[in-house]
Amino acid sequence: MVREADDRSIEIILPTKIGYERIAMDCSASFARYWGTVDERIEDLKTAVAEACLNAMEHGNKGRPEARVVVTLDLENGAIVVQVKDEGNGIPEIPADPDIQRKIQKLEPARGLGLFLIRNLMDQVELNRITEQGHTVRMTIRLQNPEPMS
Amino acid sequence: MVDQNQISIENRGELSILDITGDITSASEPFFAQAYKHPDVDGVGKILLKFDEGAYINSGGIAVLIQLLAETKRKAQKVGITGLSDHFKKIFHMVGITRFADIYASMDEALKAMG
Repeated sequence: MVREADDRSIEIILPTKIGYERIAMDCSASFARYWGTVDERIEDLKTAVAEACLNAMEHGNKGRPEARVVVTLDLENGAIVVQVKDEGNGIPEIPADPDIQRKIQKLEPARGLGLFLIRNLMDQVELNRITEQGHTVRMTIRLQNPEPMS
Repeated sequence: MVDQNQISIENRGELSILDITGDITSASEPFFAQAYKHPDVDGVGKILLKFDEGAYINSGGIAVLIQLLAETKRKAQKVGITGLSDHFKKIFHMVGITRFADIYASMDEALKAMG
């Protein structure tokens, strides 16, 4: 899909390098702040973006440094829409919510919390949007009254 | 950039305070494992984890903390946590960490409750 450039969209292209998710976090926070998002929701957005990028790098791109993660941020209908695209084939099985008791008892791996956090912090999440270019996670955070910073 | 952690250990009787600087990610695992093996921590009845309020904590870091809590649970050690931002207090509650560790708003509050 060819995206038309406008003043309500930004795009960040990251190599697959753990730690670079922080760049997407910071850009997302700046974008959300620009559109008047309250601090609490900015923190939610930062965590969700970081987790989506980490999943894209680790599972989608399988750690291949040459593979890219593309993060787009759009203001659409009073909401910030974040899309995180990797070069993988999607999530084969959506994991159940983590069970902390079982993790403490070592009956399930301690890891595997990323999707749970994303789903609980964002207002809407769509997984497994597969195109020829790869797999995209789409996350939406609704704004109360989006106004650009003056 | 992934920061490494520095964990300093202070003992106050049965309480061991782990002062943790830096971001908490999967790369924190060896730092936590080493700190937990320390004789001042391994055998105490109570452990207080003090985080940087501005630290970045991701799901990999929470998993490291869960691994630690699995060990403290096995040894019946009481765990407290302080230094979390409001956001990460919410996250820790969401994940269920608060079922296995008490979260305190400040060091003073933690020491009053645990010291």
